[in-house]
Amino acid sequence: MQRKQTIKAALAGFLLFFMPPAIAHAELVVGMSWANYQEERWQIDERGLQEALSEMGATLVTADAQSSNARQASDISGLIARGIDVLAIVAWDSEAILPSVEQALAEGIPVIAYERQIEHPDVFYVAFNPIEVGRIQARELVAVQPEGRYVIIKGSPTDQYAHYVLTGQREIIDPFVADGRIEIVGEQWTDGWVPDRAQANMENILTATNDEVDAVLASNDGTAGGVVAALTSVGLDGIPVSGQDGDIAALNRIALGTQTVTAWKDARELGRLAARVAAELAGDTAPGDVTDRIVWDLGPNGVAQDAVVLPPVTVTWDNLDVVIDAGWISQGDLCVGVSENVPSACR
Amino acid sequence: MFKSILSARMLSLLSLLVLIAVVFHVLSGGLFLTPRNLYNLVVQTSVVAVMATGMTLVIITRNIDLSVGSALGLVGMVIALFQIELFPAEAAWNWPLSAAIGIACGALIGAWNGAWIAFGGIPSFVVTLGGLLIFRGLAFETAQGRTLAPFQETYQVFGGGLNGALGEAVSWWVLVVVLALYAAGEFFIHRRQIRIGHALPLILRALRMAMVAILAIGFVFVMNAYDRPRTDIGRGVPIPALILLVTVLVMEFIARFTTFGRYAYAIGGDVDAARLVGIPTRKTVFWIYVLMGVLAAVAAVIATARLNAGTSSTGELLELSVIAAAVIGGVSLLGGRGTVSGAVIGAVIIQSLDSGMVLVGASSSVRMIAIGVILTLAVYIDKRLSKEA
Repeated sequence: MQRKQTIKAALAGFLLFFMPPAIAHAELVVGMSWANYQEERWQIDERGLQEALSEMGATLVTADAQSSNARQASDISGLIARGIDVLAIVAWDSEAILPSVEQALAEGIPVIAYERQIEHPDVFYVAFNPIEVGRIQARELVAVQPEGRYVIIKGSPTDQYAHYVLTGQREIIDPFVADGRIEIVGEQWTDGWVPDRAQANMENILTATNDEVDAVLASNDGTAGGVVAALTSVGLDGIPVSGQDGDIAALNRIALGTQTVTAWKDARELGRLAARVAAELAGDTAPGDVTDRIVWDLGPNGVAQDAVVLPPVTVTWDNLDVVIDAGWISQGDLCVGVSENVPSACR
Repeated sequence: MFKSILSARMLSLLSLLVLIAVVFHVLSGGLFLTPRNLYNLVVQTSVVAVMATGMTLVIITRNIDLSVGSALGLVGMVIALFQIELFPAEAAWNWPLSAAIGIACGALIGAWNGAWIAFGGIPSFVVTLGGLLIFRGLAFETAQGRTLAPFQETYQVFGGGLNGALGEAVSWWVLVVVLALYAAGEFFIHRRQIRIGHALPLILRALRMAMVAILAIGFVFVMNAYDRPRTDIGRGVPIPALILLVTVLVMEFIARFTTFGRYAYAIGGDVDAARLVGIPTRKTVFWIYVLMGVLAAVAAVIATARLNAGTSSTGELLELSVIAAAVIGGVSLLGGRGTVSGAVIGAVIIQSLDSGMVLVGASSSVRMIAIGVILTLAVYIDKRLSKEA
């Protein structure tokens, strides 16, 4: 008798162990298909996602496509076969991924496009608001330099993200341009976001304007680095310059006073947000009722989809503490070479 | 008379350059031919021009190197990693050692390419296309895509920035030394030609030397006329220009006066014939790639010092500018023909177009179109000229 029960229990345990969790309903399982996990950034996302899911008692299973369309397709098939409740995807190619997305949706698995938009009406988009990035950059520059001659160093013309950022920048400065307080004296795209190109473009714009430039809207921290190098060579370093990403070199420039602002995206926050959205979608919440949900239709094809977007954090000389408190950068790296006008984060 | 001083090809290149300069000077409302723009132009050209001198030898042997932009990116990251992350920031030996490691790394990259091409028998297009991907990937891996900054202040002078020029007085002294060396060189060449029996008439030689001297004096004069910000102190010749000058002299010497250089032309003319007369074709090609790698590393020093940061995307797409510079400069993709100085002028032409377009406010797409058109036209004109010759 005793023996039989033991066998039964073992059998039950055995079955439970192999039963797909989706059927077991025991706990939430979130599948994440990374495009290229080697990039440092995604490891930070995963930390946030993992933390938030563990707190809920949910499980995270991941696969890494290693920059391959084919591998990402088979990764997703594998995750579906393993049994997941929600599928999150960082698409390597937002077009080529569509058949895999359809496959998951057909199985009744909600799909989250994580950080990189997948234009499909039934996909839930979770990302940092790229337009807000541009707004933050322009807002901070306008705050310190409300009038004068502006230069815009745009991102890569073939990258939709660069267009989003520009949209946000123009939204803020266009009224100033309209009433003549701000004059755009030069603007150039930066092929491939390459910093040395941004530098050469900035040098030539400085020649064209005879150094009469009051502020530079650079679209990310890499191009901002090129801009600051160009400004330094004519002794103009210190005029307002924007950026985004919270690069270590850029945060150091903010501490030194050669860059004004970076729109910082704390990847862990986005991971936590995705965990929350996944939990809501796996529960009985309709996509339209997810907390903070908006409709996003600003992609290249104008497809309307449910989304939750996170505002990036504005980091300036005044609040550099936030990046240290978040463990994003060490005080040593932040404060290299800072000797005068020391920000509180370096004291 | 001009033709005996300058080759027809060189003359057409220089005319094109003058034409571009004058057109942009007018279109930009008098901005192009200013000391400031010419200073910038020289600094901006130096990275591509240094690599174009090596690309000339590569293409002359009927090969190609598509990996130079990625090689530059990788070497830049290696230098940044050692100088900023690994070595103590204050140590005086830091920058020379990290730069030396970078140059060695460039030589290794070249050896990798050269070994597969020369001894592995794989077409250079394939090997270096692979290299383009491998080295860019490694550049990313070096610091997981992070931007490394800042470099040591002494190292930054290689970029030609605020403190990256010789100053007025030193520039004149360097000019005197260079002109003296040049005069001595012409003298020895003249003596040698007399021995062989067909020397350039003395009057023409004197005329050529006078032209070079006037150009050089004019160059230093212009560089000295560009003042440091908010002062009357002239900047002088930028360090990258000095590096470029030394590179061009060394590479011209290698290409024209060493057996190694003449082997390169022979291999490009006819590789089988070259082998049959006993030229070590494989070894020559291998060492040309090593040289190319070293030059990419030198360019990496200039590029990183200029940006004052190591980024994994530095030098992206630069291979195309370098190859275009060589081709515009008259280096034939069929091998066996072309000069180092031609390639350098090709680089100046490309950079003039690129900078000039920004001065007149043209977009990057228009710039691409213009450079493409000039590339095609230059090769067409070159072809016509070589038929006439």
